[in-house]
Amino acid sequence: MTRALAFVVLLPRNVCVAILTVYRAVISPLYGDVCRYYPSCSHYTLQAIQQHGVVRGVWLGTRRIARCHPWAEGGVDDVPARTHDRYRVTRSGFVVASSHGKG
Amino acid sequence: MDILSFFGTLLWPIKWVIEAILVAFHTLLTSVGLDPAAGITWVLSIVGLVLVVRAALIPIFVRQIKSQRRMLEVAPQLKKIQDKYKGKKDQFSREAMSRETMELYRKTGTNPLSSCLPLLLQMPIFFGLFSVLNDAQHSKVGVGLLNEQLSSQFANAEILGAPLRLAISTADGNATVIIIAAVMVVLMTASQFITQLQIMSKNQSAEMKASPMYRQQRILLYLLPLVFAFSGFTFPLGVMTYWLVSNFWTMGQQFLVIRNMPTPGSEAALAREARLAKRNQRKGIVEEDKTGGTVVVEEPKNVQRQQPLSKNRAKKQNKK
Repeated sequence: MTRALAFVVLLPRNVCVAILTVYRAVISPLYGDVCRYYPSCSHYTLQAIQQHGVVRGVWLGTRRIARCHPWAEGGVDDVPARTHDRYRVTRSGFVVASSHGKG
Repeated sequence: MDILSFFGTLLWPIKWVIEAILVAFHTLLTSVGLDPAAGITWVLSIVGLVLVVRAALIPIFVRQIKSQRRMLEVAPQLKKIQDKYKGKKDQFSREAMSRETMELYRKTGTNPLSSCLPLLLQMPIFFGLFSVLNDAQHSKVGVGLLNEQLSSQFANAEILGAPLRLAISTADGNATVIIIAAVMVVLMTASQFITQLQIMSKNQSAEMKASPMYRQQRILLYLLPLVFAFSGFTFPLGVMTYWLVSNFWTMGQQFLVIRNMPTPGSEAALAREARLAKRNQRKGIVEEDKTGGTVVVEEPKNVQRQQPLSKNRAKKQNKK
């Protein structure tokens, strides 16, 4: 039951994760490595959506892309951390309910 | 609001500017005596659009080149990081390596990457032009200066008998369109190949050639023809013209930069030094240090530290 609920709740962010994964595999390599930050903007947005959900994740990602321009300093810039043990990220990047079923 | 009209609203100002530039060039060319309805006038207007856009992007390019020049200063530190992770191919080591490299770039202000802004800026221009042409095809009036007469002229403009608004997918068996689009795809692929090969084979130092990124770029190079073939199929000839001329600009820009300000330590830098030396010799100039302030000539760096010698040993070595 909780599992089904978690699937529904997590569906929007997993759809976004799927879109971003395809983008990163197919479109992004076409113009090579250009980002002045680590992780790159798309990787940052992917992590942000995984950890903070669609709304905050897209907002964080948009702010990051706005920060990334030729006059920016660049460097290491990670997603603000959020500690939760409700969800975990699978190897392919999708977010699922934690296996120990706390949530 | 559905997604298309949302993008339409976003594109509105860009379309307005594109139309203004196109119409400005068109008026200029007509006043010089070209036929306002001729295909060549509209093609040259598109060329004018490319010139304006690419000239506006020059400052970004110059900045990128400048930080690439300064890379020489941090080359030893970069080498240190690369050596530290040499042979470690697992994900965590590579992540840590990227992190350290980026941090080094930030600290020294030598980030050679340009961010995706130049691309992001060109994307709406590209789609704006696409939508301007598309509207013209359906005999819709533009959003700004492109009035009814101009828009129908643009829509019916032909290059060697092929309307600018058609693509292979909309050609309806028009052989001329298909042939011209195919030729454009070939030219685009060729120019992209030349640009990339120039950078990769001539303008990269030996260290960069050994990196995994270099190999990845090489593979990509062979995927590009597919992308261009797809775009030749989808985009109207007018948009393809923009893309092609823009590619030619990149090629010329790259050629000038590699010739006159090559990356220190690369093949092109050696070629430039040889060229300068030859010219000086011809002119009878003996002095070698005439390269000027803008050029960084690589000095051979002695990476290995010289061991201090004891007095006795130094004497022995001197005897030899």
